[in-house]
Amino acid sequence: MPGFAHLHTVSGFSLRYGASHPERLAERASERGMDALALTDRDTLAGAVRFAKACAGVGVRPLFGVDLAVEAREAVRRDRRRTPVRGGAFVDESAPRVTFLARDGARGWAELCRLVTAAHAGEGTPLLAWAAHRGEGLVVLLGPGSDVGRALAAGRPDRAAALLAPWREAYGDALRLEAVWHGRTGTGEGSLRLAARTVGFAAEQGVRPVLSNAVRYADPGQGPVADVLDAARRLVPIDPRGELDSGEAWLKDAPAMLDAAERIVEAAGYRRDTARRLLEQTGATAAECRVDPEGDLGMGGVYFPEAHLVGAGRRTAQRALASRAAAGMLRLGYGGRRAYWERMHDELDIIAHHGFASYFLTVAQVVDDVREMGIRVAARGSGAGSLVNHLLGIAHADPVEHGLLMERFLSRERVVLPDIDIDVESARRLEVYRAIIGRFGGERVATVSMPETYRVRHAIRDVGAALSMDPAETDRIAKSFPHIRARDARAALEELPELKRLAGEKEKYGRLWELVEALDALPRGVAMHPCGVLLSDASLLARTPVVPTSGEGLPMSQFDKEDVEDLGLLKLDVLGVRMQSAMAHAVAEVERVSGERIDLDAVEPGDPETYRLIRSTETLGCFQIESPGQRDLVGRLQPSTFHDLVVDISLFRPGPVAADMVRPFIEARHGRAPVRYPHPDLEGPLKGTYGVVVFHEQVIDILAVMTGCGRGEADRMRRGLSDPESQGRIGVWFAQQAAARGYDAETIRRTWEIVEAFGSYGFCKAHAVAFAVPTYQSAWLKAHHPAAFYAGLLTHDPGMYPKRLLLADARRRGVPVLPLDVNVSGVAHRIELVSESPAVWGLRLALCDVHGISEAEAKRIADGQPYSSLVDFWERARPSRPLAQRLAQVGALDAFGANRRDLQLHLTELHRGARGGGGGQLPLAGGRRTAPAGLPDLTSAERLSAELGVLSMDASRNLMDDHREFLTELGVVSARRLREARHGETVLVAGAKAATQTPPVRSGKRVIFSTLDDGTGLVDLAFFDDSHDACAHTVFHSWLLLVRGVVQRRGPRSLSVVGSAAWNLADLVEVRHAEGLDGVAARLAGPSGTDGSPAGDDGGALRARLAGCEGLPAPAGSAARDPMTDRTIRMPTGYEMHPWADLRPAGQDAAQGPAAIRKLWHQSPGSAG
Amino acid sequence: MTILCVRFQLPPMYEAALPGLLGLLEEFTPVVEALPPDGALADLRGAERYFGRSAVELASVIRVRALARYGVDCVIGAGPGPMLARVALRDARPGVTCAVPEDAVAEFLAGKPVAALPGVGAATARTLDEYGLDTLGRVAAAPLSTLQRLIGAKAGRELREKASGIDRGRVVPNAVARSLTTERAFGIDELDPARHRRELLSAAEETGARLRAVEKVCRTLTLTVRYADRSATTRSRTLKEPTAHSAALTRAAYGMYEALGLQRARVRALTLRAEGLTPADQASHQLTFDPVDEKARRIEEVADRARAKFGPRAVIPGSLAA
Repeated sequence: MPGFAHLHTVSGFSLRYGASHPERLAERASERGMDALALTDRDTLAGAVRFAKACAGVGVRPLFGVDLAVEAREAVRRDRRRTPVRGGAFVDESAPRVTFLARDGARGWAELCRLVTAAHAGEGTPLLAWAAHRGEGLVVLLGPGSDVGRALAAGRPDRAAALLAPWREAYGDALRLEAVWHGRTGTGEGSLRLAARTVGFAAEQGVRPVLSNAVRYADPGQGPVADVLDAARRLVPIDPRGELDSGEAWLKDAPAMLDAAERIVEAAGYRRDTARRLLEQTGATAAECRVDPEGDLGMGGVYFPEAHLVGAGRRTAQRALASRAAAGMLRLGYGGRRAYWERMHDELDIIAHHGFASYFLTVAQVVDDVREMGIRVAARGSGAGSLVNHLLGIAHADPVEHGLLMERFLSRERVVLPDIDIDVESARRLEVYRAIIGRFGGERVATVSMPETYRVRHAIRDVGAALSMDPAETDRIAKSFPHIRARDARAALEELPELKRLAGEKEKYGRLWELVEALDALPRGVAMHPCGVLLSDASLLARTPVVPTSGEGLPMSQFDKEDVEDLGLLKLDVLGVRMQSAMAHAVAEVERVSGERIDLDAVEPGDPETYRLIRSTETLGCFQIESPGQRDLVGRLQPSTFHDLVVDISLFRPGPVAADMVRPFIEARHGRAPVRYPHPDLEGPLKGTYGVVVFHEQVIDILAVMTGCGRGEADRMRRGLSDPESQGRIGVWFAQQAAARGYDAETIRRTWEIVEAFGSYGFCKAHAVAFAVPTYQSAWLKAHHPAAFYAGLLTHDPGMYPKRLLLADARRRGVPVLPLDVNVSGVAHRIELVSESPAVWGLRLALCDVHGISEAEAKRIADGQPYSSLVDFWERARPSRPLAQRLAQVGALDAFGANRRDLQLHLTELHRGARGGGGGQLPLAGGRRTAPAGLPDLTSAERLSAELGVLSMDASRNLMDDHREFLTELGVVSARRLREARHGETVLVAGAKAATQTPPVRSGKRVIFSTLDDGTGLVDLAFFDDSHDACAHTVFHSWLLLVRGVVQRRGPRSLSVVGSAAWNLADLVEVRHAEGLDGVAARLAGPSGTDGSPAGDDGGALRARLAGCEGLPAPAGSAARDPMTDRTIRMPTGYEMHPWADLRPAGQDAAQGPAAIRKLWHQSPGSAG
Repeated sequence: MTILCVRFQLPPMYEAALPGLLGLLEEFTPVVEALPPDGALADLRGAERYFGRSAVELASVIRVRALARYGVDCVIGAGPGPMLARVALRDARPGVTCAVPEDAVAEFLAGKPVAALPGVGAATARTLDEYGLDTLGRVAAAPLSTLQRLIGAKAGRELREKASGIDRGRVVPNAVARSLTTERAFGIDELDPARHRRELLSAAEETGARLRAVEKVCRTLTLTVRYADRSATTRSRTLKEPTAHSAALTRAAYGMYEALGLQRARVRALTLRAEGLTPADQASHQLTFDPVDEKARRIEEVADRARAKFGPRAVIPGSLAA
């Protein structure tokens, strides 16, 4: 029996409708003996590329299609419904839906893309206008959801015939009627009677019928998941008494479909063997839909913008590129240097070999345009290794000087598209996008999409809502989970200490967990990718469906990053980098107040003050080197040149940390260990890093030197190292080649060991150089223009730390923090001269940080300055009442006299007066001043909490100051005094949590890193997994922490505390207040903090020794095997990690935080940089 | 020290027991004001002299009797005026009567939150807190004009007087029944309007039956819809004429429900409250020439009799029978 071809199948890309991934569908189709399968997602083609690839993998022929809502021919009269007072209106899904399948190769695919683009063109939900039908290249299936199907369901074949006419007119022979039987009763969708009516109607009208199963999921038993998805889409709970999913919409095999066909034709009154005819028709339709993924979708091809658009004029792109590069040589003054000329010609040859000249010109054009707009732009990534990029002005650093290799970026042997990433100011990223669209035209440019998929928290929320669970309860459960994959929900419950309490009541929630796991990784929304921009020739719209993004209305391809690469579309990554914006703001501030123009790209390299600052590890806010781990590393490495910075950035990566490159490097650098090379021939590439392999470039060089192959080949080999299988092959090849070149066995063995350990997870030097440039620039700004630097940081918030920590840092570094004042503050943070000699610049807080202020309001306030009185301010700046009251609370209106509460009262009355129309009389004393009303002023604690609530910053003083007395009672060591603490000493530390991370560490265990700020400095904490049972929950879910731990010292500037017990300080303060010290003692004696494990003894010290460099990794193998070992996740780089590491920790907003919604501390998914 | 404020610890929905408990208080003084659903004020001015005991001592007697005769515990606050007695009740526990010292009223009040004052609701308390007037001491210290600017002239004056301990209120004897509540809860988030209406019908029928049983009519009907997120919407409607007629109540309830236009709201409960209860024999009724209305009322009367005989579910509307 031949396999059945399903013509109507949706995947998870049909948002909140399909329950299976396209890969799974292809796999099942193959298992069930089908030779063709269509993917007809709702309103999208986003799954097509994955589906095509998966089908190719399992040997099933893919058919491409889409299921679109179409405009009804005649307007449906609908009665206006009353607007609900609560809960919102129902989601309107009334539009009829029709399935389109691509038929004639590329033409069919282009037509599909056009239809999808057209359907998304209007406002609101996608709807295909009737005028968009062209009737070419497509097969149309009118199923139960179409207008014709609905008329049949309603028992109106006459009406169905009338509705069929326009379809027949438009599509003629390509029209099919689709019969679906899901075993339902009645005459609705999926009922036997409707299916039979459809088949009968088809015969009567002379339209060919086909059989489909309207597949929503791959396997039987997934009906409940479909119910949850339906509920999430319609935003209503599942009604257990209502119509649930039939459970039949799975990818049924041929016998089951034959059975269905027989039932249907019998019900339609035909003989049983007519079923064969129905199946034949279906098969014939599938056979008609021929679209070849390679030829017709354009997979594997490459499309660049036409040469005349990128400044080539009538010349070929290659010639234009060559002449621009040569011009660059002269402009940059390399004209007399032969090595540069040779390298340039080599590179141009490689580019010509691949025919990528247009690509380089395109990027150069974009960079030129961006620069012309006055936006800071920098290249990053391996593209920085190309001299041509440097000559075209794309990359800033000179690759020859820094020893960067073209081969790492592009070589004859490399067949994939090279990628050049450019960084621009984040605040002006959209401007850049618009400029690119303006330059190349909307038919060539689109942004790239990024599916947002279900992870555990969202899955819990949606399933909870579908199951009618209490929203507060759902919220609590969701928040207690870290940001992990949904499929790990139950495993996490078993294993994570901070979920222990929840695990106890697990049974209570019944089917919740099962359904949550079933949603794993299904797309639940589509967002614009934060950096990718597609550039193509004018045929872009025939190869990708383009939809407008929801917020900005930019054109966005439905395909994501990987799809786009597979489709051969040129993607340029334009990253918005906040640090670039911050630096631009700082420079602009300096120019505004002093007229001094700083060219950051031209600051003197090797500035001693800058390096002094970096070595002091007070690098908060500096690009790439501000994280606790980096501060520790910088303290030990003590960089003094640009190259040191490059090395520092490269070392602080999971790879080098895992391969234990850090310690030998530090030892050799400080002369504590001799510099060793596996062979004198390798001194060249390894000299700069004291014989330690840090960069990809060095591996390429080692392979090239030892085997004599070219660097291009060496790069290919290096890439192969990440795959264990090919690693073995490369090892053999390496040994043979090296032996042939006369290296002895010992050298080969030692070198191979290094190369092997390095795997592929070193760091590309070109990346590091590109990173180090803004690192140096930001540190330079911090050293020379601290106030402006902080103003930039606070305005654009680039780093990992909350703003309040930057403010504390500014205070510590002697930059006066000036309060918010409506008469002085600008929209963005500014600097002000505080005293003439010595010139001290202060930082004036900005209006944009006030909670809930809109851009327009901030601008209006700033434009109207100065204001003479409260009334003047009210009338001209026209703030909303809540905003004005917030301003009063934080003292921004103090200049108008009276205390802050009196001001609030006046504001309320002004508001009332404005609303009432009558001006009302204002009690003013002495004209300008506001009269006091006798209300009690805010206490100092209230002021602080107002600042935290309104600005998310403790602007006037550090919030820990209030608890100083209690902390002294407890004997807590301040961050400043901690610097003098001995190694191994047990101490108590306290502070406000500034950052929490659980980065991947080498031992594969989970370590919680946290940073506390206590006003005198920062304390870096590490919690190893023996303390997690006792501490994890407290650390994740509290804001103010009291921690007991052991001091770890690994250098003069390297200090951290290994925590063994943690308490919520806010609770303790309350207890102290209410019950006195005895209450505190009772709390400390209780079980909440610690389980009484040997906390301060040698356990801590031992751990510290195991901890190796920067408290991150412990030597592999030394850690005892734990039950987690078999759950470790192996990264594609070959790097193993704890399943719960590298995730955003639980408890985004602790109840204690005064402004729980806003960012008061940082939690990152644990990126090492 | 003559006024007691008593709160009986009745289990919820047990308001029927209140009249009996009020009778208990009336054994001490005729001046008893009911504070439904579970409290009462009693003026013991004469009783102190008659029983030869102070109000606080009498409070213990009242508690013992309530426990002995009705098995109901109570908490009691005592003070020179009804307002102070009610404030005192907040601090009382079973067995510990809290009394406001007559000579230190202001001090007693000073530390109390503003919400402790009867008549200061959530909205007023929020306003006052916003301006830092979170305790009665601070309210008393604030300038009168400022208070009046905050919450209005009359309210401001009264608030300041109360906060300073001036209690002008007195105990006004009255009878119980002021309102009657019927609730219908759903086991799941219910969106189906048909089911909502069905429950409304059943609640209105029950309200009518209960009203007729105690021979009362209601003037106002209030519908409260509670949602899954524990929030609620409330709508009130004053009836054309005070009535206990189920059909009229149902009509009013449906009207309020339709006006909400609910679609996706996750309803967890519907509550109907009949307010402004007055004796049925004092109610006026507009006669019509339409015999249907008359018939409906007579059927209702018969149905009530049947229910009295065979239980509340003996006669129910057909749509509820399924």
